[in-house]
Amino acid sequence: MATDARILPLTRPAPRGILRSLLLTLPIFIWSPLMMGFRPGAKFDPVSTTAAAITALFMTVLFYIMMRTNSTYRWRRIFFVSLGILFPIGFIHNLYVMRGSMGIPIEEMIAGRTPFCFMPIPLLILPAAFTRTVIFPGSIASSSHGIAAMVGLWLALTLVMGKGWCSYACFFGGIEEGVAAIPPRAKIRKLDPRLRYIPWAVLLAMVLLSLALFEPAYCMWLCPFKAVSEYVAARNTVGLVQNVIFILLFAGLVIVLPFLTKKRTQCSWFCPFGAFQSIFNKISIFEMRIDKERCKPCLVCQNACPNLSLSKESVARGETLLSCMKCGACVDACPRQAIVWHIKGTQIAWKPERARLMFLYAAWAMAIMFGGSIIAQGIITILHVFV
Amino acid sequence: MKLRPILGYTAAGATVLVALLTPFFLYDFFSKGVVALPLHVDEVYSGGPTVRTIPMGAYSINVHRPVYPHMLQSEKPFVQLDWQPVSALPQHISDVVDIDGDGQPGVRVSFDVPRDPKAPLHVDVDSLNPRYESMHHAGKEKYSRLIVRVDNVILVRVPLVR
Amino acid sequence: MCHLSPTPARMAREYPLMAAFVSYGEALALGLASGPACIAACGPVLIPSMLTERTGFRHHARYLSAFLAARLVGYMLFAVVAWELGALASMLPAPRLLMMGVVYLMLACVLLWYAYSARRSCAPSCADSKLIQIGENRNRNVAGAAALGLLTGLNLCPPFVVAGIRAAQLGSMAAALVFFLAFFLGTSIWFVPFVGLGCIVRNQAIITVARMAMVLIALYYLLIGIAMLLGKKTYGY
Repeated sequence: MATDARILPLTRPAPRGILRSLLLTLPIFIWSPLMMGFRPGAKFDPVSTTAAAITALFMTVLFYIMMRTNSTYRWRRIFFVSLGILFPIGFIHNLYVMRGSMGIPIEEMIAGRTPFCFMPIPLLILPAAFTRTVIFPGSIASSSHGIAAMVGLWLALTLVMGKGWCSYACFFGGIEEGVAAIPPRAKIRKLDPRLRYIPWAVLLAMVLLSLALFEPAYCMWLCPFKAVSEYVAARNTVGLVQNVIFILLFAGLVIVLPFLTKKRTQCSWFCPFGAFQSIFNKISIFEMRIDKERCKPCLVCQNACPNLSLSKESVARGETLLSCMKCGACVDACPRQAIVWHIKGTQIAWKPERARLMFLYAAWAMAIMFGGSIIAQGIITILHVFV
Repeated sequence: MKLRPILGYTAAGATVLVALLTPFFLYDFFSKGVVALPLHVDEVYSGGPTVRTIPMGAYSINVHRPVYPHMLQSEKPFVQLDWQPVSALPQHISDVVDIDGDGQPGVRVSFDVPRDPKAPLHVDVDSLNPRYESMHHAGKEKYSRLIVRVDNVILVRVPLVR
Repeated sequence: MCHLSPTPARMAREYPLMAAFVSYGEALALGLASGPACIAACGPVLIPSMLTERTGFRHHARYLSAFLAARLVGYMLFAVVAWELGALASMLPAPRLLMMGVVYLMLACVLLWYAYSARRSCAPSCADSKLIQIGENRNRNVAGAAALGLLTGLNLCPPFVVAGIRAAQLGSMAAALVFFLAFFLGTSIWFVPFVGLGCIVRNQAIITVARMAMVLIALYYLLIGIAMLLGKKTYGY
């Protein structure tokens, strides 16, 4: 497909004008306070109001900067890392207030009060389909921590973003993204491309084991993020082994390897939920595409991708792999603007900013609704505890 | 052909609309949809529905339907009995419970009720019917064999003989 | 039940044909009812190993047949040994746990070896003529479907134990074996849809994922097998 070189300059565009950036930010400026609860008749205390205001301003400013600089990744990362840090603060504090520890006692599981996380969703599908049983010690119809609430949220966010969930919604991924951002250079640069297959293998194994054992096998045995949320209190040797496993996985995949590789190693080399979400990239209308006439290929995009979602073969085909998280790192890194945001069905590299804007409005709106509320809760915790 | 770009932009616009509708409509719609599905939490966790209540004066005993775990689960079949409200329980419980409702005693359940709600509980169960297993000084070892306090209820799970 | 109705032993003596019909019909029904549990138990072993094979309906049908045949051999072997030892009816938890631990460890080893040997892309890990090969041969070929089938057959899952207890009530070892055969047939019907895995396209990605999944599942069986041998409770809660 011939590309008109006048549509996109070969160098990075100049920053967008201040007024135009403000105009484009206006919908988010209205949306943010609305999602943070600033509505007529809403009651606030000073701490909640302060936290909500900070969050609304934070999200609005970040969006403005994304508009002004025509770049996405760096500013989205600030939001995402904040989410990854503030979620455990709010969540763990809540656990200590409610029951005095991060370990889930059996009483809570029997009472159906185990908060439901999105990670076991793919593991629950087959047992639910075959036996109408939800193999999770939660409650289907409770309020915010219930199974129905999280599944409903997951469905809505996935319809909008596909695997963009992993860049705009997952409250765990920000930790390793933050760690990966610390060193100036990667110490391990050569990465075996087959590592990309591991999340699919973990997904297959965990789905089969969950059906066989009738328990959420990934949650019981592997999930490293139990280190920053909650875990089943060990009552025997096998429970102790399970807890040692998740601590080691957290240390390795979330701290050490991201630091050494500057990649999101847990997400790209392990997370079965991420593999599951990749499937929904097939139905997502937004994607990244490469203009093959403009592309060199220098593979700067491949190095920039935190998720190993670009390979020589995929670049040659002009597309990212199914695991693309829509973080924008490749677009911002490309020196020739060859890789662009794209709406399926439209011409590649023809007004890609339009595609980016439409995606960002949808994704950022959801990020404010979901991630913003978690960030606000984290800030409330800090204000209550430390101020 | 212009149809594909039109469809593409329409779908993209619809996605933005979905994002805007989610907090006001779609989130509730999807959540209620999940609730409406004929699903239930695994009874190994929930204990199964209550089938009978045995009045015992100030307190009562709820008898649940026996739970038969999935064949490959490591739990045994069990029946859950609830003593409630805890505030009305005497310091020591020693009750004969007719689990089946056949007029014959099923088990004798004995446990102390500590004042401190966080104090550990232990139960002795004497089987008076070969269908039920006895337990001695059981705590909360496994889902099919335990005594725990959940809010204002003390629940005991008695394993069934396979 | 009326107190005048015959006991199973009396029925077997006086109405042998009817007794056989009732008891083997019962075995078949038990097998059909247990089938979902069997495919759930065998799924973690069977599905990744089938995914490392090349595509083709017939190839997968042969693979599955070898798996099921070896599984049957496992059933029969156990039935004979247990009948001879008089242990079929008792099936005490402690020796059962020990045996399951050993079987799990062997299963883990076979899966790991299988995953290692399937590294040649899209090549059958067990070639057409060697489906029933067990263990290494001169050419270092991998244990195939039969080894996996045999070990899953020896795995004393609850449906198998129930069938074993019922079979022990029959008059002779031959009757018990036929009972197990009928039970096995009932469970095996549920495995037929697995042949459909032959329709999935195979490429380097699918085979690599399947091999990695086998390693993970093998590690799980290894851990659980060791725990069982040590007499530890095999659940984490």
